[in-house]
Amino acid sequence: MSTRDLFTLRNTHFRIGVGITAAILIVTAIAGFIVLPFAQPWVQFANVWDAICSAAGVTQRAPDVTAPQQAKRLSEVVLTSNTLSRPSQEAIGRGATLAQRCAICHGPTGVSRADSPNLAGQYAAVIYKQLHDFRSGARSNAVMSPFAVNLTDQEIADLSNYYAYLPRLPAYHPTPQLPKPNIVIYGAPMRGIAPCGACHGSLDNKTGSPWLEGQSEAYMKAQLQAFATSERRNDISQQMRNIARAMTAQEIEAAAAYYASQPPDVVKAVD
Amino acid sequence: MSAEETHHASTEVAARVERRWATIAVIIVVMMAGLAAFAGIHRATMPQPRVETIDPSRIHLSGEFVESNLGSVLEANGTVTVRAIGQQYSFTPACILVPADTPITLRATSADVVHGILIQATNVNTMLVPGYISEQLMRFTKTGDYLMPCQEFCSFGHEGMWGKVKVIDKTEFANRAKGGGRLSCVGQ
Amino acid sequence: MLVNRKLILAHFWLAFAVFGVALTLGAWQMFIRSPIGTWLSNPELYYRSLTAHGTVMGYVFPTLVAMGFGYAISEAALQQRLVGVRWAWAGFWLIVAGSIMAVIPIALGRASVLYTFYPPLIGNVFYYLGVVLVVVGSWIWVALMSVNLRVWRKANPGAPVPLAMFANVAGSYLWAWTAVGAALELLLQIIPVAAGLKATIDAGLARVFFSWTLHAIVYFWLMPTYIAYYTIVPRAIGGRIYSDSMARISFILFLVVAMPIGMHHTFADPQVGAGFKFIHSAFTALVALPTLLTVFTICASVEIAARLRGGRGMFGWISALPWDNPMMLALAFSFVMLGFGGAGGLINMSYQLDASIHNTQWITGHFHLIFGGAIVIMYFAIAYDLWPHLTGRELIDVRLIRTQLWLWFVGMIVTTFPWHWVGILGMPRRMAYFDFGDPAIAPQALSVILSAIGGFILLASGIMFIVILARGMRAPQIDAGPYRFALAVHQPKTVPVALNTHALWVALMIGLTLTNYGYPILNLALSSGTSVPAVYVGAQ
Repeated sequence: MSTRDLFTLRNTHFRIGVGITAAILIVTAIAGFIVLPFAQPWVQFANVWDAICSAAGVTQRAPDVTAPQQAKRLSEVVLTSNTLSRPSQEAIGRGATLAQRCAICHGPTGVSRADSPNLAGQYAAVIYKQLHDFRSGARSNAVMSPFAVNLTDQEIADLSNYYAYLPRLPAYHPTPQLPKPNIVIYGAPMRGIAPCGACHGSLDNKTGSPWLEGQSEAYMKAQLQAFATSERRNDISQQMRNIARAMTAQEIEAAAAYYASQPPDVVKAVD
Repeated sequence: MSAEETHHASTEVAARVERRWATIAVIIVVMMAGLAAFAGIHRATMPQPRVETIDPSRIHLSGEFVESNLGSVLEANGTVTVRAIGQQYSFTPACILVPADTPITLRATSADVVHGILIQATNVNTMLVPGYISEQLMRFTKTGDYLMPCQEFCSFGHEGMWGKVKVIDKTEFANRAKGGGRLSCVGQ
Repeated sequence: MLVNRKLILAHFWLAFAVFGVALTLGAWQMFIRSPIGTWLSNPELYYRSLTAHGTVMGYVFPTLVAMGFGYAISEAALQQRLVGVRWAWAGFWLIVAGSIMAVIPIALGRASVLYTFYPPLIGNVFYYLGVVLVVVGSWIWVALMSVNLRVWRKANPGAPVPLAMFANVAGSYLWAWTAVGAALELLLQIIPVAAGLKATIDAGLARVFFSWTLHAIVYFWLMPTYIAYYTIVPRAIGGRIYSDSMARISFILFLVVAMPIGMHHTFADPQVGAGFKFIHSAFTALVALPTLLTVFTICASVEIAARLRGGRGMFGWISALPWDNPMMLALAFSFVMLGFGGAGGLINMSYQLDASIHNTQWITGHFHLIFGGAIVIMYFAIAYDLWPHLTGRELIDVRLIRTQLWLWFVGMIVTTFPWHWVGILGMPRRMAYFDFGDPAIAPQALSVILSAIGGFILLASGIMFIVILARGMRAPQIDAGPYRFALAVHQPKTVPVALNTHALWVALMIGLTLTNYGYPILNLALSSGTSVPAVYVGAQ
């Protein structure tokens, strides 16, 4: 027998094989697409067609929901792995010119002598997001906000690219290197705290999270406390508030002191 | 009987036994599928009825997953809707507050990668796939604290992604809900 | 007639070498995340190891075993020199190249995305390209199996294809088609993003593609084991196959229904419609059928062997079985593990029960019991059975072989039973460490320690296995005689064309894939706005 004789209704195996398969398919399809949808009293379908389409998984846009008003302004930045494109030399040059205004607090090389954040070699997405948030008012600071208010989108991108381009220099807070506290190494799983490095650069970088090595201890402590009390809330969907709230006061101090004492060379080059 | 006849007879016996077993096997299989369908109808554990999409990078800007809408809300019909998101590496709200003995609809999505919500000691278990909204019905009979780990690998901080669910008395929940807004047990 | 022994040995040795490495990683993972290990200061190391373990055990090891065994079957069952030996070597070297290409980014921590990929997480592009090469290498084997059968058919028109080869080719077709799902995911979705050509990916669609591969791949892993059940075990213990046609029907059923059921892996997913989930659930129930038929046929075949050895009575024949024969021992262990694993599988496949264990440690326990247990123990048995024919040397130490099989069985039970239990308690999968000091999960600690001990028993057994095979390469030479497969009680003189060819069943397999996967894939592929930004892992 050739294959031509195989695929014919005269062949019992063909009849049985195809017949049974088709029968099972039809029975299960009727059950899955019509019987089961209507057997669920807690779901309402407009008609049979609606039930079939839903069971088939036709995609629908989520319904519009009127959410309660936000009490305070929150971050409106959309941040993805491709938010900032690769910078050109011109962009970095423009950023350098703009950055002259920032040097008073953030240092001419992007490393602060005060308790302002060091920016040299920081991930571009971090500076981009914080400048946008300062500009929109999602984050506010008496010194910083007035600087950010008048920046254009282009200027924010240029500044971010410029600082990201600067070499990572040792900080001006010469403290002996501290051992890594448990909260930094392991987090605290049952309190929902992942290791800091999972986002902040030493293990991996979650887009928008800064690397922290060599930042001012006072600054980091203040920010963690502000996140914990929700005084600062420009972290999208509470991603940092969730963590800071779960940390104890001692853990906040230990983490801030540890990161302040670290040289910047342990950070992975992600951007 | 000749050798050929014996051979023939034994083939017949073998085939008969075999057919009997095949029939039993088919009955087992049909019963299992039928049982699954039956349980689907009589226990509220059907997969979510619709496929809904959403842009994960913009959920904080508008729509049902903005920050002020995350948490539990008591609906007019007495049921509760919980809205939550999963992101690297936490759930928001990190502690979900719900009443006991109340039909609850959990609506959740992911802001970045694939996560999963699993409430221990219950059969509440759903994936959070970025771009899609997960919906699951649930009902708690016992008050108390439940652990809610992320059940899907979501990169290097996955081991630290544990949320909580707090089930409280129905009337206590109703009292708290009077204040309006979205309820959670964050910071309690 | 085994002519290309070097080719077959190369496949087996590479398979068992990478198996040894992955097994060691697995035991380390069990230990390090248990209460007796110390928390990793770098959790990424755990996920790195897990990626390597899964990639090797899921893609490289079983594929090489199936290929090596497939070549052996083709030569021994068809009594015909392998056609296309050069192509076979090309396939082998493609797998070597692909494995190396994949393993380098994994070892460097650039691809810690686990073997299931999980987009939108994106790792280094060479990891994915390496996996593609492994699959392409195995497709050469699929083509060769088909070609060899065709050559044989030409020389033996109308003759029944030997059962071993019929099953072997069925397995190869199943693999060819099931690998397409992951291949589409890699080629159309992940690799363009990993290579930087695209920045967004539909994570839901990727999961649907992957489910196409993820379930039927288990049946591909299972094929050598089932072939051994039917065509090696009865011969090795001095019996006969109870029924040749029932065996063919079982393999045909696997071919048809193993494929269109993968969406039971996505019961808890938001991107698949409930109707398709139900259809897949029902078809998953069907896949129990070939296994139930196999259990009957093999038990009956074993009973024949026992009665031929003088066994009497309703159950008395069981004691007449050659229990000191490694093949008998392996079969018994395999069946016990298949029984428990299969029972667990019935829970996973059902639309409702799955919710209580989805993505918990139960699932890991389940597939380790089925794959690592029921399937791999028969891989051992296959290797022991083939080895003298491949090396021309005797495997002398039967006692050591028995100990190795016992250890594997005990180790697998000790590992997976507590694993199932903590899954029921809700312990999630794939976490680098757990805070067992917390009273909420402290009750799970003991079970996890037991599992870790089981992991080390398995490691010991795995090392013994490799030592036995290595010593077998230097043992005294013997003439092992021709390699034979078991005969049926009633060896068929003719077989209906449908049971002697694969065309009808391959057509049904593809048809069912279209009905069960066609719409869900098209629906997502054509929906706009379901693609999400990629999240690159590790330093880029």
